[in-house]
Amino acid sequence: MRRKRGNILIENVIFIILNLAFLTILVLFLIKQGAGAALLEQSYAKQIALIIDSAPPNSVIELNMEKGKKVAEKNGVSFENIVRIDGNKVVVKLSPDSQSSYSFFRSGGLENIYTSELKYYVFVTPKREVIANA
Amino acid sequence: MLNSKKGGDKIISVYWFFILVLVAGGVFLMVSNFYGHPYDVREVEADILANQVSDCVYYGGKLNQNVFLVPEQKIFSELFANNFLEECGFTFGSVPEYYFEINFYEYPVPGNSLYEISKGDPNWKTDCELKDEGYEKLVTCVEKDFFAKNVDGTIYFIKVLSMVRKTEQNVKQ
Repeated sequence: MRRKRGNILIENVIFIILNLAFLTILVLFLIKQGAGAALLEQSYAKQIALIIDSAPPNSVIELNMEKGKKVAEKNGVSFENIVRIDGNKVVVKLSPDSQSSYSFFRSGGLENIYTSELKYYVFVTPKREVIANA
Repeated sequence: MLNSKKGGDKIISVYWFFILVLVAGGVFLMVSNFYGHPYDVREVEADILANQVSDCVYYGGKLNQNVFLVPEQKIFSELFANNFLEECGFTFGSVPEYYFEINFYEYPVPGNSLYEISKGDPNWKTDCELKDEGYEKLVTCVEKDFFAKNVDGTIYFIKVLSMVRKTEQNVKQ
């Protein structure tokens, strides 16, 4: 029986292309979900709050927020406005419509907070007397 | 083996795309479920709280002498216990989401607590023992204990219990 090899080949190629397209869309969806603004905001807010709670007095901590910077700039939020301290809460904003906050238990918050090299946020913890010895 | 019946090919294609839709739907549901849960950092936070509270009482091998009203007579200070948050640089806010408790015991035989410092809401203490379904929606507790030697050579056994609630920010409601 003669088979139309051209049709068989084209059908298989289309089939493979459609499957690859489907897999690509799935993978892109997975990557997009993991890099969403809301998830990053929550991650950064908790990370920074825990840093403030655990850092020794008078420490300088640099946090690489390059990923957050890309998301924020895509959403029209400048890098300098991503992180702010509001009382005893860290507030992280990567898009105009959302923000995430997390509280910390150390009083005094931060001595200073500033950006560096357009991708780092630098946190300086206050000088604190840990223990008064006799 | 090729199926030369074109009608059969079309039916198989329909099933194939149905399976693809099922797989895509399954992946979507799993991913949404995974990323829909917030990160639960309470255990780390409770651990940090316990460490910071312990450091205020005993740091660098030295017991904080402010715990004593009269160090020579080993009389503990209620003022220090009452002002512990201010003395050690903590702030729990108007609605406390934290609780900690420090107890001093004699060494080597512990007995009753000689001195207790506690701040926050103590009503959550019973939740620490629960392991029923949904326990993660309650508080997260961390316990630590260590020995502390005073300058006069007296050794105390110190137990620290710290709790973090914050369920709205760490557990899917």
